[in-house]
Amino acid sequence: MYNPKAFESDVRADWCPGCGDFGVLASLKDALTSLKLEPHNVVIVSGIGCSSNLPGYIRTYGFHGLHGRPVPVAIGIKNANPRLTVLATAGDGDEYGIGFNHVVHAARRNDDVKLIVMDNEIYGLTTGQLSPTSKLGQKTKTTPDGSIIYPLRPLPTLMGAGATFVARGFSGDPKHLSYIIQEAIKHRGFALVDVISPCVTWHNIFDEVKKRVYRLEDRGHRPASYAEALSAVEDESGIPIGIFYRTEDKPTFQEMLATNNGGQWSVDSVRGLTPEQAEEAMRQYY
Amino acid sequence: MDMNEGLEPDVTIRLGAAAGDGIQSGGEMVTRILSRSGLYISAYNGNQSVIRGGLVWFHVHAARWRVASLGFGTDFLIPLTQLCYDEQFRGVNDGGCVIYDPSAVKAHDLPDGVRGIQVPLSEVALKHDKRPIMRNTVAVGALAAALGVDFKVVSDAIVDQFGKKNVEVTQSNITAAAEGYQHVQNSVGVVRKLEYDYTIRRPFMHANNAFALGAVAAGCRFYAAYPMSPASPIVHWMAANAKKLGITVFLGEDEISVINSTIGASFAGARAMCGTSGGGFALMQEAIGQAAMTETPIVVVDVMRAGPSTGLPTKTSQGDLNMMLGIAHDDFPRVVLAPRTPQEAYYTAGRAFNIAERFQVPVIVLLDFAIADGGFASLDKLDFNVPIERGKILLEADPALTNGVWFKRFALTPDHVSPRSLPGTPGMMFVAKTDEHDGFGHDLSDVLAGLSEPVKLREKMHEKRMKKMESIAKEAALPELFGPDNADLTILTWGSSSNPVREALRPLWRDGLKVNSLEFTDLFPFDSEEVYKTLRSCNSVLDVEANYTAQFARLLRRETGFEVAHHFLKYNGEPIYPSEVVHAVRQALAKEAPVIV
Repeated sequence: MYNPKAFESDVRADWCPGCGDFGVLASLKDALTSLKLEPHNVVIVSGIGCSSNLPGYIRTYGFHGLHGRPVPVAIGIKNANPRLTVLATAGDGDEYGIGFNHVVHAARRNDDVKLIVMDNEIYGLTTGQLSPTSKLGQKTKTTPDGSIIYPLRPLPTLMGAGATFVARGFSGDPKHLSYIIQEAIKHRGFALVDVISPCVTWHNIFDEVKKRVYRLEDRGHRPASYAEALSAVEDESGIPIGIFYRTEDKPTFQEMLATNNGGQWSVDSVRGLTPEQAEEAMRQYY
Repeated sequence: MDMNEGLEPDVTIRLGAAAGDGIQSGGEMVTRILSRSGLYISAYNGNQSVIRGGLVWFHVHAARWRVASLGFGTDFLIPLTQLCYDEQFRGVNDGGCVIYDPSAVKAHDLPDGVRGIQVPLSEVALKHDKRPIMRNTVAVGALAAALGVDFKVVSDAIVDQFGKKNVEVTQSNITAAAEGYQHVQNSVGVVRKLEYDYTIRRPFMHANNAFALGAVAAGCRFYAAYPMSPASPIVHWMAANAKKLGITVFLGEDEISVINSTIGASFAGARAMCGTSGGGFALMQEAIGQAAMTETPIVVVDVMRAGPSTGLPTKTSQGDLNMMLGIAHDDFPRVVLAPRTPQEAYYTAGRAFNIAERFQVPVIVLLDFAIADGGFASLDKLDFNVPIERGKILLEADPALTNGVWFKRFALTPDHVSPRSLPGTPGMMFVAKTDEHDGFGHDLSDVLAGLSEPVKLREKMHEKRMKKMESIAKEAALPELFGPDNADLTILTWGSSSNPVREALRPLWRDGLKVNSLEFTDLFPFDSEEVYKTLRSCNSVLDVEANYTAQFARLLRRETGFEVAHHFLKYNGEPIYPSEVVHAVRQALAKEAPVIV
């Protein structure tokens, strides 16, 4: 019998009341339950920041790692045991700042891990400094006169890097976000789910987003088209959420890896060499 | 121990030319020929960080006794270029030879007692190819004749070395070698013949390959790396064997990705390892603290090269020890091992994994260019029955160790090691946390930080991690004392520097000097009381290591209070030669000032 409460933790989230991350946590639990996944087969890896406290708040295997490094830890887990569902959940500082290099390469390799970025356009836990996605002119503790840097645009950048699933959600629309996360998990390959998850304390854009947000599905968007995806992501008339782009034309890195390691996975083969293998390995050294 | 061992004749050979002239290939051919003639070999690849040009050399030392290092001087110098001759001819021993092509090399100022053997290397090579690329093979043939080795051994070695290329290439190399062989046979004959036994089959490897093999033999099937000399041969070996042996090889986008993915793989349950050289290791440091904090076992190999910064990418050093003692921020357990030889590197891999998994700590293995990329050595038959000790891994759920929601992964235990579950095991979920955490892996760092109970628990968790070092220290291998007891002088050394030290001992003994060596492999932690007892019993100590600040001697002082009297420290990137150790010993015995090269 499937237990829909299996993901409930006994640890209370320490986020500020009204934080967008509560919505993301709820959507994530709903998505995992809707897909009838078992908690022991799911690993959630996070970095450092408010949002990265998430793993303990949901009952799965968790790895609360270093700032910027959830993606390589997640890839290591997936490469060692591809039977696990591996998610990385972190903030814009982690994934679009200090650790963006790893995200670009995960996208190009099409690693079968799902990256959920809780993007609040600010460094919240360190009390409000400019982040890679902060807007031009945004006033923060490090930009008292307003930001002089254009924000990174992670979605088109990662599409260019070869990402096979690119989506945006909004913490204020948890039902829709759960749907996106489910689709991301079902996707064969790397998935980016960028979530607008406002920081109510340092940069509260909740009302503004709520006013301008629209669902891509409502406008007949076709995620199979790269060109349409690029144009949808550029739309500044509103804030589009939904799946911009999705293709399964590319094999996953783990599928490719299986052609290199003979489909033998590291967690299943913690054993020595047979006498035949040893002899063969030594032959060239005489 | 037989003090007379080593008095039987040995031979030292040095080939040199520009990069791209086939010196590595020629050197390996010589190594293979002498190894198949029943000799122990020790070889060194004096290469440069270039693809073409410059001066690269390959040195082989061989004898019927177990050679450890490069021997004394050069008996046979084979310079294919003038630069090689100019740089190296002064190192040729009295009674030695220079085999050279007078059309390419002017053998000026040849010392008395050194014989010049002229061989038309280019002329012969050009018969077989438009470019004189086979000069190296002709020279190897000439050398084999001067050494009185059976030509059959030469031709078999060529077949095995070029086996994968086409038959034509192999055949023309054999013919070229034969012409060089005949030329010397007809002109000067055998110059120096050792006793050969063509029935002995003994493998030879460098420590990078031996270590990779040892890791796989110990159950490692995950290796991550970013290309960096001189560690790259490990990832080459892993990639070449990936399909056959089922190894997952991950070439990360940088060393940060490499170390973090290795930690992820280990967390998932693999025996996971990554490798790099000093600069790459510097990038990995924060994550090594992460492995210690999350008690995730990993093995990291650092193949040292001369630094700092980019330094000398293809030259040797033992300068990374201090980095290993001070990896990243605050205190956490780590283990540092430094095998002395390729053979020891093979067994160290298995030991490293067992220590890492039994104590759930990061284990660092220090190799260096001198034995890794640079140095081949003969191995005894390897034991492939490697013990795999995984420590407290729970392969099945144990609800008694949970609170019904979470597994108490970081439970306090009498031996400070907690049972570990692997993702995929039902009911045993936990969070591996880089924040300070309680037994379940929940934060002590945020809303609980500074509260009285969490403060106490933080203390206990920190002690739990650190106290593992006491158990590891008790198990650490004590240094090997080699040579006579009650020596007048003890040479203190570690890792690969043990090899030139060993080779220096025999001539010292022959001269009636009472000298021994104290060779460390388990650098940190170690049983400081036992080590102090040993050090205190020494009459006088000379420290030999390849760095500027005597990093290991300073570690010993820190841990035991023992002050070393004499130092021989080399940091110019070149290997330590036995003759330099002999010189340093004589100086130390003469109570002279510390010697620094």
